[in-house]
Amino acid sequence: MVLWFNSGHSYDYDFATVTLAYMNRYPNPYATHVQSVDTIDCRIDATTGDLMLTKLIVKTGRLPKFITYFVGDVTKSWVMEKIRINRDTQTMTTYTRNLDHKKIIIIEEFTHYSTNADGFTDVQSSVKFSSGINKFGIKNKLESWGHSKMQENLRGSREGLKFVMLKVNERRQAWLEQMA
Amino acid sequence: MGNILSASFAPECDEKKATYDACFNSWYTEKFLAGKSITNECEELWHEYKECIDIALVKRGMVKMMEEAREEASFENSGIPQNHDEAKK
Repeated sequence: MVLWFNSGHSYDYDFATVTLAYMNRYPNPYATHVQSVDTIDCRIDATTGDLMLTKLIVKTGRLPKFITYFVGDVTKSWVMEKIRINRDTQTMTTYTRNLDHKKIIIIEEFTHYSTNADGFTDVQSSVKFSSGINKFGIKNKLESWGHSKMQENLRGSREGLKFVMLKVNERRQAWLEQMA
Repeated sequence: MGNILSASFAPECDEKKATYDACFNSWYTEKFLAGKSITNECEELWHEYKECIDIALVKRGMVKMMEEAREEASFENSGIPQNHDEAKK
């Protein structure tokens, strides 16, 4: 059983600000369920010159009741994230997915950030929910949960990113002053 | 600045992570995006941090899950959707 949700958004910030904020988006007041973020791989692709990062994120459980019925009381979840940044085209693609509880549900998020004609940053994101649970009624439950979860997540992640972008700009200013 | 950086899943690696993150953030904006550097100048700091993380993953019994993830096609592909027309449904 698979469900997709798509959305688009635009931030009034340049690519450098948005991407730096994205990589430093936790902690923020809108993501208190995120416990930690580690960079487990960091390299530059020899052919494309792309910056390739792999992150390991730990989130506290926010799965709904009908899911915890199958997996028990899940307190945390490990999430892996791949980030690819091309500085020439000013694009960033990200992919995140949970590493545990996969038999119950796999939540994958694909995003693509690019610079628009105004010099600001557009983002397109798709989230895919896949579940191996085939019990009667679970699809509807998962679908409505997925919808509300997406709304909540989108609002939270946009507000969170905006919060961090303000901070990141302050920090960038401080670095520039230091270098001058 | 400290409280803007996220924590490590392994508290014993927090300090190394903070040093690396600060280096990475500077390098990313001032050098990488500016086209002034094509090598990761924070690599040495990252290796020190990574060594700590690797030990922590072993201690927490996470190695198998990490290896499985690395071998999966979705991660190998950096998550480029295999059948993205599904998304338009």
